Amino acid sequence: MGQVTFKNVSKSFGSTNIIDGMNLEVHNSEFLVLLGPSGCGKSTTLRLLAGLETVSSGTISINGRDVTELEPRERDIAMVFQNYALYPTMTVAQNLGFGLKAKQIPPKLIKEKVNEIAYLLGLTHLLNRKPNALSGGQQQRVAIGRAIVRKPKVFLFDEPLSNLDANLRLEMRAEIMKLHREIGATTIFVTHDQEEAMAMADRIVIMDNGSIEQIGTPTEIYFQPKTFMVAGFIGNPSMNFIKGKISNKMEISMPIGRIKINALLNLGEDIEVGIRPEKIKLADSKSKSTEIKVTVLVTYVELLGPRAVVKMKHESGQELTSVIEHDEIESYKVGTEINISLASQALHFFPKN
Amino acid sequence: MIVSFENRLLQFIGIMAIFMAIIVVLFPFFWIFLESVKPPSLGGRPDIWRFELSWENWSEVLLNSSVPLNIMNSFFIAFITVVISLICGAPAAYAFSRFRGFQGARYSILAAEMMPPAILILPLFLILYKLELIDSRIGVVTAHLTFVIPVITWFLIGFFDEVPKDLEDQAMIDGYTRFQAFYKVILPVVRPGLGAAAVFGFVLSWNDLFYSLLLTGAGSRTLPVAIASFWTFRGIELGKMAVAILIAVIPVLILSYFIQKHLIKGIGGSGVKY
Ligand SMILES: Nc1ncnc2c1ncn2[C@@H]1O[C@H](COP(=O)(O)OP(=O)(O)O)[C@@H](O)[C@H]1O
Ligand SMILES: [Mg+2]
Repeated sequence: MGQVTFKNVSKSFGSTNIIDGMNLEVHNSEFLVLLGPSGCGKSTTLRLLAGLETVSSGTISINGRDVTELEPRERDIAMVFQNYALYPTMTVAQNLGFGLKAKQIPPKLIKEKVNEIAYLLGLTHLLNRKPNALSGGQQQRVAIGRAIVRKPKVFLFDEPLSNLDANLRLEMRAEIMKLHREIGATTIFVTHDQEEAMAMADRIVIMDNGSIEQIGTPTEIYFQPKTFMVAGFIGNPSMNFIKGKISNKMEISMPIGRIKINALLNLGEDIEVGIRPEKIKLADSKSKSTEIKVTVLVTYVELLGPRAVVKMKHESGQELTSVIEHDEIESYKVGTEINISLASQALHFFPKN
Repeated sequence: MIVSFENRLLQFIGIMAIFMAIIVVLFPFFWIFLESVKPPSLGGRPDIWRFELSWENWSEVLLNSSVPLNIMNSFFIAFITVVISLICGAPAAYAFSRFRGFQGARYSILAAEMMPPAILILPLFLILYKLELIDSRIGVVTAHLTFVIPVITWFLIGFFDEVPKDLEDQAMIDGYTRFQAFYKVILPVVRPGLGAAAVFGFVLSWNDLFYSLLLTGAGSRTLPVAIASFWTFRGIELGKMAVAILIAVIPVLILSYFIQKHLIKGIGGSGVKY
C-alpha cells in the first residue's frame, strides 16, 4: 500500500525553523503515531507530507516515488482534520463522494461506493443531512468516511479525537483501529495525548521542538526512553528525576543516597537519574547492594480508583511520587515516615541538561 | 419583580427617542410622496397641505418622459457593473484573505476607494472619448467599476477570512486544484456575502450621479441624472421630480432590507484579525 520516507526534511517559516532535518521511515500498513507537546511541529509534518506546505529542504517520498514537488491532489493521500473540515454546503453523501468526483468516476459508481462506506460507518440514515445537522461524533465519522472512500495510499489524522468527549473518544479510537485492521492502509496519526498514542500505535514517534526525540514501539518508548525529554513526557504521573553525580567505582551519589550500578556510564559527571513512580516500592527487611533504601515523609495520597498516587518528601528536600495498588494504601499514611526502596535496574540515566 | 420608576422612565424616554428618529427619517419620504400626488398646478408649493389627490405627475413621468428609459439604463449599468465586479472582486478578496505577505496590502484597496472621483474623471473622459464611448452605457460601467470593484473586494475579504483554511486544504487533498477548491467549495460557503456584496455594489452604481452626469447624454442617461434634470431653466418640476425620486429610492430600500444582516460584517469585517 504505502510506504513513506522523510529524508532530511526541514521547514522554516520566515527565519524560524519549525522542522529540523527530519528523517523518518514509515512502513507499509503501519499505524504510526506522532506524539509531542503542542507546537512541536506535528501538524506541520503532516502538512508537509500532504503537500499543503512546501519543504524548505529535503525530500519526501511515498512508495519510493519522490513527491516533494507534487501538488496535494497528486499524492494519493487522505487527511482528517481536527475540526473535520466538512464542506458545509454539501450533504453527507456529497461530502463522501466529493473526492471520487474529482477522479471522474461515473456518478452511479460513486453512489454505490458512498452507500457502502455510509453503511460501514452507520451513516446511511444521515446521507441527506448537511454537516451542521450532525453531532460531533457523526461529523467525525463523515470525515473518516470521506478519507477511506477514496482508498488512498496513506491516511493522515491530525488530532481527530480531541474535539470529542471522553466516551466518544474511546469509541472512535476503537473504531479507527478496527478500520485500520480491516483496510490495512498506512496511517500517520497525530496526537498530544500519550494514552491515545500508547493504545493505538504500532510505533510512536516522539517529537519536540521540530525534531524527533525517539522512534519506537509503545513498550520501548515507555521502558527504554532514550532522552530526558521522552522520559519526562511519557508516563502519568511522570517519571521522578533526581540529580546525581557519578563518583568513582561505578557508583552514583544522589541527595537521597548512593547506589552501585553495574554499567559504565559515559554521560559526564553530572546526570539526571529517573525512576518511574510505579517502580518505587516499600522496602523490605532484606538488604541488597543494588538498591537504595530511603526514609521519606508521606505528604499526600490521592486515590484514583484501583490505584493511588502518593507524594513523598526526603529530608534533603527531594520530592518523589509513587503509584501504589489500592490494597497497599494502609502502609502510606499522610504525615508518617516510611522506608522505600529504589532498585538499580529500575533507574534511568540521562546527561544533565 | 418590581420595575422601579426610574427604569420605566428610562424605557419611556428610549421609546420616545426611537419614535422621534423614525419620524425624522420617514418624514421626508412622506413629504416627497405628498408632493408627487399633488396636482401639477400646485407644483413647487411644499407648504400646501390640503389638496385634491392627483396621479397626473405619475402618469406624466411614466408614460410621457424619458424616465422609463433612464430606469432601464440605470438597471443595465448597475447590473453589468456588479457582475464584472464580482468576477474580479471575489478572487481578489480570496487572495487578500489567504496570502498575507504584506499586512497593509488590503488597506490599499481603501486608499483606491478614498480618492476623489474628480481625479479619475478627466482621464476616463479622454479615454472614453477616444474609444467613442461617451454617452454609452458601457462607458458609465467602466467608470463605476473604478469604485465598485474596490468596495466589493473590501466587502468580501471579511467573509473569506471567516472560512477556515482547512476547507480548501481538504478539497486540494481530495483531488482538486486550488482554483477548483475556490469555486467549488469556498464560493458556495460565502454565498450570503456574495449576495450582500452584489446588492451593495448595485446600490452604489444605481445611486451614482457624478460619473453619469459627466459621461452620459440623452441615450445613456441614468435615473439620478434624470432626477437632476427636472431642475430646468423654467424652474423645478417638483411633482415629477418627486415621482422619479420615489422610483429611485424604493428599490434601494427593499434591497437594503434584505442585506442589512450582512452589511455590518461586510463593511467592518475586513479588519485584520490575528
Ligand atoms: N503558517 C505558519 N506560519 C508561521 N508559523 C507557523 C505556521 N504554521 C505553524 N507555525 C508554527 O510552527 C510551530 C509548529 O506548529 P504545528 O506543526 O501546528 O505544531 P503542533 O501541531 O505540533 O501543535 C508552531 O510554533 C507554530 O506557531
Ligand atoms: Mg497541531
